[in-house]
Amino acid sequence: METTRLDRNIRILNWAAGIALVIALGMVFFYAPVESTMGNVQRIFYFHVGSAWVGALAFFVALVGGGIYLRKPERKWDTIAVAAVEIGLVFLTMATAAGSIWGKPAWNTWWLWSPRLTLITIAWLTYAAYFMLRGAIEDEEKRGRFAAVYVIVAFVTIISTYISIRILRDIHPVVFGGMAESAQGAEQGLQEFEQGVESMKMVITLNVSVVAFTLMFAAWMANRIRLQYLMDNANHLKMRVAARLQGGKA
Amino acid sequence: MNNSNQLSTFWAAVWAVVWKDLQIEKHTRQTISVMIMFSLVSVIMFNFALEANLAAAREVATGLLWSTILLAGTLGLNRSLAIERENQTMEAVLMAPIDRSAIYAGKVISISLFSLALEVVLIFIFIVFFNKPFWRPQVMLILVMGTIGYIAAGVIVTSMTIQTRTREVLLPVLLLPLSLPLVLPASIAVSAYMFPQLPDWGEVQGAISVVAIYDLLMLAAGFITYHYVVES
Repeated sequence: METTRLDRNIRILNWAAGIALVIALGMVFFYAPVESTMGNVQRIFYFHVGSAWVGALAFFVALVGGGIYLRKPERKWDTIAVAAVEIGLVFLTMATAAGSIWGKPAWNTWWLWSPRLTLITIAWLTYAAYFMLRGAIEDEEKRGRFAAVYVIVAFVTIISTYISIRILRDIHPVVFGGMAESAQGAEQGLQEFEQGVESMKMVITLNVSVVAFTLMFAAWMANRIRLQYLMDNANHLKMRVAARLQGGKA
Repeated sequence: MNNSNQLSTFWAAVWAVVWKDLQIEKHTRQTISVMIMFSLVSVIMFNFALEANLAAAREVATGLLWSTILLAGTLGLNRSLAIERENQTMEAVLMAPIDRSAIYAGKVISISLFSLALEVVLIFIFIVFFNKPFWRPQVMLILVMGTIGYIAAGVIVTSMTIQTRTREVLLPVLLLPLSLPLVLPASIAVSAYMFPQLPDWGEVQGAISVVAIYDLLMLAAGFITYHYVVES
């Protein structure tokens, strides 16, 4: 049985994530300059990118967890994959909500069916379906194995989504690793990387908030994994009580 | 020498699986006929829904074609893989001393062939109903590429869902979202060919490359993971 205690590592992670988030918040509101064309609305961008980044990272962690589980079917790898998919979904939802709030003033609409937004919705559905697959299988070993295969297959769609939103024409600006089209996208949307010092401040704030979100992801992972062990432990105890009661009756 | 020998055994196994499926289809004629009937019904329903505005129907014809292929595809996948479970032929196939990935490749090829047969019918229907140049070889090439990727994902997912409690119900919920990152660029590429003059290669290059990348990645994922799915 894995440890169910709230041990020192989890405590340290929790504190680190909390403090980093406060620093990031402070920087977003007081350090980063007001964006020239969009004004204060642009500040939501730091959260949007942070949570989108963690979403992608979480699905990658799930892929690794699933891959290792297929090689070595130990329960902890399955637990890591479940925790990562769950947290990834939450962050993807946050990224979409933040993007939507930004989209209203920027594009004058909450939602657009552009390829990128459509594909992100589909990614959300893909990973939500992961839980439907798990729910439909009773055998624990088989559930872990199928879930691991599904996570690998699902990551293929994440890769091709990543590629297509960089290739297909879209209204959404490209922030990470953009190609030719990104120049156009950046003109339409954000122009924050323009003037010297001010734009440096924005880049620093963005990096700090990405780090803060990553720490938050690590902390959530640690807590979610511990929660799974507690749940397993509780089930184990329940079964023992049931066995004892039946034994007493006979 | 040894290597090429292994390769030819592999392809012999693949061919055996494909041949077996084609023989079953020849005798039962269940899979393709169900797919075609279902597609006809859906196309007529789509037309009925868009009847008031034929111009609009023409605009969305590409999307309709892909949706019909996807939905009919789930039927074909379920049918072709469920037969194996019902008659316990899968156990026999698994007992054969062949590589699991050969079974996967064989299944992908045979179900893709069923889907391509359906698509030939659909192309004909769509040309008649929507008067758009679906006959262009480029369109057919994109259809073939899209079908392979879709079925590559479909064989893996269906092999899992038929072993779960909810079975047929679960398949579309899992497979349709998985296939959209493939179908969206494929549909964009097909739409580009729906105009009287052919598009520049630059216009469709991106979308077609995404389709090709998805195909390769999904086939690779299938080859690696298939044997974890059929083990009992």
